[in-house]
Amino acid sequence: MGILNWFGKSAPVVEKLPSGSFTVDRHGNVMATTIGSGYSQRLLDSIAQEVLSQFQEARAAQMPLTGLDLHFASLRITARDMQGGAIIFLSPQNTFATPSPAGKDRP
Amino acid sequence: MESRHKILVLDDDGDWLDMCREFLSQLPSKPDIRTVSSGMRALSLLDAQPFRVLLCDLRMPRMDGLQVLGIVRRRFPELRTVALTGLSDGEFRSRAYAMGVDLYWLKSDMQQNPQMFLDCIESLLGEEDGGGFRAVQSRNLLDIVKMESALRNSSVLRITSGPKVAQIWIQDGQLVDAKVDGADGEAALWRILEWEGGAFESLPAEPSHVRIITKSLESLLLESEQELKKAANPTPTQEVEETQFITRLTAVAYVGAEFVVTIPAKKEDAAKGWGMHDVDHLATWARQAEKAAQRLGEKLNAGPLTHVAGHNLERHLLLVPGKGRTFVIGWPPEADPRHLFEQSKKLADTWAS
Repeated sequence: MGILNWFGKSAPVVEKLPSGSFTVDRHGNVMATTIGSGYSQRLLDSIAQEVLSQFQEARAAQMPLTGLDLHFASLRITARDMQGGAIIFLSPQNTFATPSPAGKDRP
Repeated sequence: MESRHKILVLDDDGDWLDMCREFLSQLPSKPDIRTVSSGMRALSLLDAQPFRVLLCDLRMPRMDGLQVLGIVRRRFPELRTVALTGLSDGEFRSRAYAMGVDLYWLKSDMQQNPQMFLDCIESLLGEEDGGGFRAVQSRNLLDIVKMESALRNSSVLRITSGPKVAQIWIQDGQLVDAKVDGADGEAALWRILEWEGGAFESLPAEPSHVRIITKSLESLLLESEQELKKAANPTPTQEVEETQFITRLTAVAYVGAEFVVTIPAKKEDAAKGWGMHDVDHLATWARQAEKAAQRLGEKLNAGPLTHVAGHNLERHLLLVPGKGRTFVIGWPPEADPRHLFEQSKKLADTWAS
């Protein structure tokens, strides 16, 4: 049985990176989204919280930002401040990725 | 062949620069007038071509005028400098003179008495540099003492500098004594020569005054000049640091960036800015932003963080993580955002090299 259990172990799941955009209010609640429902809501909330806190920290440092782009090796997060809330674009980066309309002019 | 002298005017107020350009064009020698709005651009321009006079505002964002004048004094010792400012505070005046500016002029005085200002600038344009140490106010005092000595005069020099009063006794061209703040003799003389400014008054000689200073005037003057030269010249380490600072600052200006701030990974190590004076707020934000972004990247399995870009109406900010330190580079709002990461990375690489 032990051997069978070992063979029956599930392989690690490769989670697809989110693609699309969503809007959050000043409290981090997602108001509207184009991201598929298959993607974890918890992770979207984390993105929203981090983005909002970055805008807040920048304001506290006397350097308010209207836009913020986080560039990772395989994902770009583009956020625009919207009166305390934000609109956030998620664009996976890969060799075949085409620039998204929201971030095509960004570095 | 270019024979006209060049004047560089540095001020963050564009209207004032336009006004200055028009005003200085009335100078009889018709100098070539250039204007710049930031300290960094002024330094890169001074590096690129010879200027005769620099007119520098004192209160400016990021790199202030005193910072610029401090660098200019070391890097371009032959350049005549004028602090042209709205700051009437005596402290700024004495700090500027201590840094070796040739003139400290209030903007309001310039407007009230334009001809006198033009005459002064014209005389600076025509003045040939005599070499040696310059622009140290005590040189004037030395000149007077030298003159008294050459003429074999006997007098008492009464020197006042703010609330301080000092006296120097000269008899038949020889220094006899000096007094200041309870000190006398040579010690007092050195102290007086350190004063950055003051007024002189020649009083009748006191032949009966007891001679305290025994050294000849020549050897005292030689010692004093050596002391002043030593004070005016930085130590080799300071010089290397300053050259490095200016080289980097020039690199920042050449690529068109506004500033570079390096933030060491260790929180206890201080951040350092080129083109930006007060870096603490920015460093706090950058440390926090980088950490939060990395945390988010791990959570999303999005790979390593390459950079963070922030934007507002005034500038673009690029946060580029490096080895052991993070770079935050400020770019003007008109810079093309598509190339900023590459340019920032290149600039950060010059720091490493």
